[in-house]
Amino acid sequence: MPTEVILPKVDMDMATGSIASWHVAEGEEVAKGQPLFDIETDKAAMEVESPASGRLHHVSVEVGSEVPIGTTLAWIYADGEDVGPPPEHATSAVTDDHVVSSDAGAPRAVLVDQSAKASELQGNSSSAKQRATPAARKLATQSHVDLADVTGSGPRARVQRADVERLLDVPAPDAIAVPALPWSTQQGDLSVLSSGSGEAAPWVLIHGFAADASGWSAVEKQLRMSAAVHRIELPNHGRSPRRKVADFRDLVSQMRQAFDGLGDQPVRLVGHSLGAAVSLALADTRPRRIESLTLISPAGLGPEINGVVLAGIARASRPESLGPWLKQLTGDPDVVTPNYVQAAARQRPDGQGRAAQASMMDALFPDGVQAFDLHAALSRLECPTRIIWGRRDAIVPWKHALRAPGQVALHLFDDVGHLPHVEIPEQVCALMML
Amino acid sequence: MTGEAHTDSSLRQLSYAEAIREAMDIALAADERVILMGEDIGVYGGAFQVTGDLVHKYGEDRVMDTPISELGGAGVAVGAAMTGLRPVFEFQFSDFAALAMEQIVNQAAKVRFMLGGAASVPVVMRFPAGSGTGAAAQHSQSLEAWFGHVPGLKVVQPSTPEDAKGLLLAAIEDPDPVMIFEHKILYKMKGTVPDGHYTTPIGTAAVRRSGADLTIVATSLMVHKALEAAATLADEAVDAEVIDLRTVRPMDRDTVLASVRKTGRLLCVYEGVKTLGVGAEVSAMVAESDAFDFLDAPIVRLGGAESPIPYNPELEKAVVPQVPDILNAARQLAGGTV
Repeated sequence: MPTEVILPKVDMDMATGSIASWHVAEGEEVAKGQPLFDIETDKAAMEVESPASGRLHHVSVEVGSEVPIGTTLAWIYADGEDVGPPPEHATSAVTDDHVVSSDAGAPRAVLVDQSAKASELQGNSSSAKQRATPAARKLATQSHVDLADVTGSGPRARVQRADVERLLDVPAPDAIAVPALPWSTQQGDLSVLSSGSGEAAPWVLIHGFAADASGWSAVEKQLRMSAAVHRIELPNHGRSPRRKVADFRDLVSQMRQAFDGLGDQPVRLVGHSLGAAVSLALADTRPRRIESLTLISPAGLGPEINGVVLAGIARASRPESLGPWLKQLTGDPDVVTPNYVQAAARQRPDGQGRAAQASMMDALFPDGVQAFDLHAALSRLECPTRIIWGRRDAIVPWKHALRAPGQVALHLFDDVGHLPHVEIPEQVCALMML
Repeated sequence: MTGEAHTDSSLRQLSYAEAIREAMDIALAADERVILMGEDIGVYGGAFQVTGDLVHKYGEDRVMDTPISELGGAGVAVGAAMTGLRPVFEFQFSDFAALAMEQIVNQAAKVRFMLGGAASVPVVMRFPAGSGTGAAAQHSQSLEAWFGHVPGLKVVQPSTPEDAKGLLLAAIEDPDPVMIFEHKILYKMKGTVPDGHYTTPIGTAAVRRSGADLTIVATSLMVHKALEAAATLADEAVDAEVIDLRTVRPMDRDTVLASVRKTGRLLCVYEGVKTLGVGAEVSAMVAESDAFDFLDAPIVRLGGAESPIPYNPELEKAVVPQVPDILNAARQLAGGTV
């Protein structure tokens, strides 16, 4: 049985094409893999290899005439095969998006060349080629979603914003508020993890919302070599008890109690995000106890905060629901590996703990807005103060840093997200020790 | 009309034509530099009876009939404006502006620029415009985009009696030439009109209906068709925001962009020919702005067909957007099937 040569689909958008030239003339011999003809589409010209070895017969399409993909162009007869009238057209027209491939039993059809493979691959993996509305692209970029993973519901499979939202399961704005679940308060002091020792002033580290003391581990490893390190955990976080937090002032007052419990000596205070806001408020009321202040991606300097992500993390209990949100925390989403997500999910509090965090979030960030403004406190500081921020922070806009007064040092990193102390711990440590 | 006592001015209803007449009356009374010019605007009262009896109140020196020469009349109005008068020149049909383009485009729009600001042309041109009256190809066009293309001109399209009065008073007080396109179908439309003097700022659009699902930017008569469509859409749980552009040049960028950022979908509805029309400018303005990132569907324009306005009433309707066209386009946009 001779092998059919058809016009292959070599481009995702291709419907027709024409033969630019035959490399092999009618009746000539050709080897499998040898260039057989050149094809021209409205976008490109490319060489197509022979699907079989043998002699070329029944060339039925003239050079230059445009034909639909799947059209039989010629037949290749193996040695010893009788050349009779052209066989019946063996393949049906190519209608789907796949490059034609051979079908067992039927005459071997075609012809997959390198460029065809490349274009098919591209179609599957590249966001750039996926049809998507600007709004969908924007949300996908912000959420680190690959558009290729999204099924478009629009015309010609165009991805629309709702398609990305479906993937993210973004709650509607009025659903951001986490439903109030029952939880009970616990007795006891806030947890303080202490390590290291040294002559220098101790470090006091305060983590952010939905994190805990373990978030400091990369930094703590370096700091403890030369000084004591105390990591205070926020109420409803880590090993700290579940407590009601009425508002930001109440949170600061609870944290001040733990801070005062550390003694009278001056410390180097470091806070991240919500913890940075708390640190700033502590420094405002305990100025003589602060030798230096480091604010990493601080909350409290402007109204905007990504309430959708915070709510997502606060609700998440399993790696599947936590992962997409965690990927928004870092400048490079690949930093958040599946293992990291697994570990983070294991450290998430139980149901009551999550409910307590959710109610705390609602008190501090009602409707996804930062309900406290510490700008004035920043201006009153007398100790050396620095702000460290990533320009790719998707949680708190780094531009809030621009409100800082002149005596505050700004360290802005281009490719870093909301977690500089996790993403670039060495650089953060070096700055903290300045 | 102006002499009547109104116990509750907030409920006072005037027609669009009456509101324009009231604006001219107020301006004539307040500022002796204001004069009215145009063909048959005196004793006859204007082709659409807009000037009415003002000639009897202010005399033929201030309410002036001009000969049947649009070029001549417009030229005198432009010259009078350069001498310090504030002429309001009425065309019988906006289509006849074609005759006066030299004075409008090459003189009125250019004089301030070419004289380095030493002179200005505070002239107002009033253009009865639009289709729907059976007046056929030479008396039914919507030519505002022609003028919107000329730096030096301001171009407004009031859609309500209140704005017809407010925009005309603003135009008369403006130091530069202002072109007012009044839709002929709207002349008899009644609406609430505040008493006394007020202005509607040139260059500001009005959100006529607030909505979350799509933005309809419309002009003139199309605002009313869009609002009618929006009411029907509301029954289908499609929440359309309707913006009355009011001024074609300078365009109110902020209002349009803010709305598109909110809804993510834009439908432009205008009566002028779709190609290179007002909606083309609105679309491009959005596409070039940061609001582009908020678009969740292609921008859709409904405009006049590529055709002169036919005399046959059915065909006349068919060549400009109608409520069912707006409904159809809005449903597709909101449904994500465009």
